[in-house]
Amino acid sequence: MNEVSASWDDEELLTALRHALDSQSAVPAAFVDAAKHAFAWRTIDAELAELTYDSLTSAEYELSMRAEPASIRALTFTSAYLTIELEIAGESLLGQIVPGQPAAITIELQVGAGATLDADDIGRFSIHPLPAGLFRLRCRTATGIETLTGWITL
Amino acid sequence: MHDDPTVVTLVVRAADGDQAAWDEIVERYAPLVWAICLRHELDRQSIDDIGQSVWLLLVENISRLREPAALPGWLATTTRRECLRAVRARGRLGKESPTPGDEQLADASAEVEQEVIEAELHAALRAAFAELPAGCRELLSMLISDSPPGYASISATLGIPMGSIGPTRARCLAKLRRSRFLAAIVAGQEGNMQVSEAGR
Repeated sequence: MNEVSASWDDEELLTALRHALDSQSAVPAAFVDAAKHAFAWRTIDAELAELTYDSLTSAEYELSMRAEPASIRALTFTSAYLTIELEIAGESLLGQIVPGQPAAITIELQVGAGATLDADDIGRFSIHPLPAGLFRLRCRTATGIETLTGWITL
Repeated sequence: MHDDPTVVTLVVRAADGDQAAWDEIVERYAPLVWAICLRHELDRQSIDDIGQSVWLLLVENISRLREPAALPGWLATTTRRECLRAVRARGRLGKESPTPGDEQLADASAEVEQEVIEAELHAALRAAFAELPAGCRELLSMLISDSPPGYASISATLGIPMGSIGPTRARCLAKLRRSRFLAAIVAGQEGNMQVSEAGR
């Protein structure tokens, strides 16, 4: 059905063209605009920490879903220098920087201004309440390492 | 799999900070992201959130894509993963929750490949259409509209004799068919078909 070939007759070509144009006009303008604006979040200053574990997408999840519906959401971000572990505990988001060390943690929100808080001497921090919508964490250690997590939705 | 030079160029330019190239990528592939979200029966708010996540992930990763030509595949896979994540998160919150089953996950790759092929075809057709002369675009738009007007009405609107509508339509479609964008897709798809034949 999708093969384009020189053997397509005019009717088939017209139909394919109609589907192509329809599939574009079906997309709301706001959806496209938001996607274009996302480019403004390009960052080149901080080391990016990649999502290396997410309880929602892990294989264990399927099992835990069956055994215990209220499984705990946990995420791990890893960069060349740091690992940032996150876990939801009730209405708070608990974090741990590995290796443990003091750091300033900034919550960057897509909409509105975020807040900055301190991780304690062994790298623990707690964010309360849970950020709503998309956010990411910028972690600046006392030794000057700056790490940025990927975008997160809880 | 497919070697569309334009996608590669767009990715390279966007990775270099070119907003216009980024906008072009979005115009081309937003329909792909949107279509995949629709298939997961999510509400509009969730779809907007997923779209946002997908494009932000691309912003973060665009300079690290190992194979820029594979961008559509990357977008389809990432969108699908984010959709499944949203479906599962909804389950975690105790709302109505069809947890994706094994069979659903199993045929993900075939489904994603199909979405990508269709999106590439549609993007190529739109690009080819955009390059047609204005007269051709007007005529073809009228012919494919939901309630196509009769030849008399087309003749009056476009100011061309009724007798030349048929030949003009054929000429415009021939131009569309010869477009360099479609040529790239045909070459890519023949490659794909051979691969899938061999895989059966």
